[in-house]
Amino acid sequence: MISKVLPAIIFAAFVVAAAVVLCVYAPFATAQTSGSPDAPKTQLDYEFFKTRVEPIFLKKRSEDHARCYVCHQVSRHGGGPLSLELLSPGASFWTEEQSRHNFEVVSKLVVPGDPSLSLFLRMPLAPEAGGLADTHQGGRQFASEDDPDWKNMKAWVLGQKAESSSPQ
Amino acid sequence: MLFAAVPLAAATARIYVTNRGGTTIDVIDPATNKVVEVIKGIESPEVVRFSPDASRLYIASRSVDVLDVVDRKSGKHIKKVPLSGWANDAAVTGDGKLILICIRNTGTEATDAGALDIIDAKSLEKVKSIPVKRGLHDVALTGDGKYAAAGSPGGQFITVFDLQSMEIAWEVQYDQGVLPLIIESNPDGSGHRIFAELNRTNGFSVVDFATHKEVDRIKFPDEPKGFGPGCEGISHGIGIAPDNKTLWANSRPANSVFVYSLPDLKLLGHVSLPETPVPGKAPRGGGPAWITFTPDSKTVYVSTCGTKSVSAIDVNTMKELTRIPVGEMPDRISTLVLP
Repeated sequence: MISKVLPAIIFAAFVVAAAVVLCVYAPFATAQTSGSPDAPKTQLDYEFFKTRVEPIFLKKRSEDHARCYVCHQVSRHGGGPLSLELLSPGASFWTEEQSRHNFEVVSKLVVPGDPSLSLFLRMPLAPEAGGLADTHQGGRQFASEDDPDWKNMKAWVLGQKAESSSPQ
Repeated sequence: MLFAAVPLAAATARIYVTNRGGTTIDVIDPATNKVVEVIKGIESPEVVRFSPDASRLYIASRSVDVLDVVDRKSGKHIKKVPLSGWANDAAVTGDGKLILICIRNTGTEATDAGALDIIDAKSLEKVKSIPVKRGLHDVALTGDGKYAAAGSPGGQFITVFDLQSMEIAWEVQYDQGVLPLIIESNPDGSGHRIFAELNRTNGFSVVDFATHKEVDRIKFPDEPKGFGPGCEGISHGIGIAPDNKTLWANSRPANSVFVYSLPDLKLLGHVSLPETPVPGKAPRGGGPAWITFTPDSKTVYVSTCGTKSVSAIDVNTMKELTRIPVGEMPDRISTLVLP
């Protein structure tokens, strides 16, 4: 009844993460590229992130869940891997510079082109749907991969571009 | 804040569960082990504590830097007391005069700076904020209410506060972060020992209150094992039954709560805790979080964050009585004694 693989990996990862009092899962190693060396590399699109992903962090998506930003703002996250910039007093969204920084931070939790290996997608997803949200302090933010916000996040990981983005 | 309609049961206690991943606090009637009330509209609640007469709730959350003082029966807000930063645990002195709040971060940076905020329960004003080097996580009181001990995960220390002078009395420095802790008091209420969980120790530390030194580090048995650490720390949740006969401490690698006799710290056994089912794979540990007891010491309650449940366990038989579904990511859990 006891998984002999995942817990061991989790434990190894925990030793690294313990100093920042967060959970980091080794199987979901961060990377900026994916696939074989000859395969086209998936590029993460900043404009898509800013317009379709970043708003999710601030959004009250249901009555039953805390907003991502509540725990993931830098002063509440103890130096954890998904530490978002602190909103300026009175601001309802990040500045361009802050969004660029958030993009860099979140990109490190993504394997471009591979949702299954992207901690950013697996951590808030319910275990019943293949995620790790039972170990996420924010809990099951997404009940299934059909959640529209989760789909947006996945689209970004898969390299979808915003309409306003320049061709690369 | 909304209080859902509740039939009033004839019990003498309530168990409050903060659902930190959500916006609710569940209230369990230990007579029926059912949720009899849901307090809604508090984003990421951290803790609920109570005035000794049970008339007031003191609620802290991760979303706003205030202590929310609420009339328990009506649900009406009495006051929002500004705090020095993001609050974690809280405690109320036995005479009800002081409310102590662990501040996890007074600043805006990733590296936390901590404090112990002290609120006068009569005026509902912050009378002092005692700064410490790093953020504070949990706090416990001596039986006589003269001292409080608080642990720091980032700073890897326990600070003991003298509540009469409202100054730091002494500290214990560790090699790893300090998570939940509890104080064992002498019959006269003075401090005897601190039992503290550490984030890389599958067990707990024992600090002698008289000498201010760590005198032992108890390691949990090697079995059961294999459940991984869950999040935040491998041992998380520790409590002393009100009759002072047993100490209960959670282990995430064992996905269990271990039971020790007091004062001799002899291992009595363990109770396996709920696992998280994962389709197509072996289940994961449920991530036991915090512990509380009924006032008669007959039942212990363990919140299990990954399974969205609270386990009610019979203290004498060490058997799980029932599993109570609660909200998202249940964390701190506390007992209200009704007059």
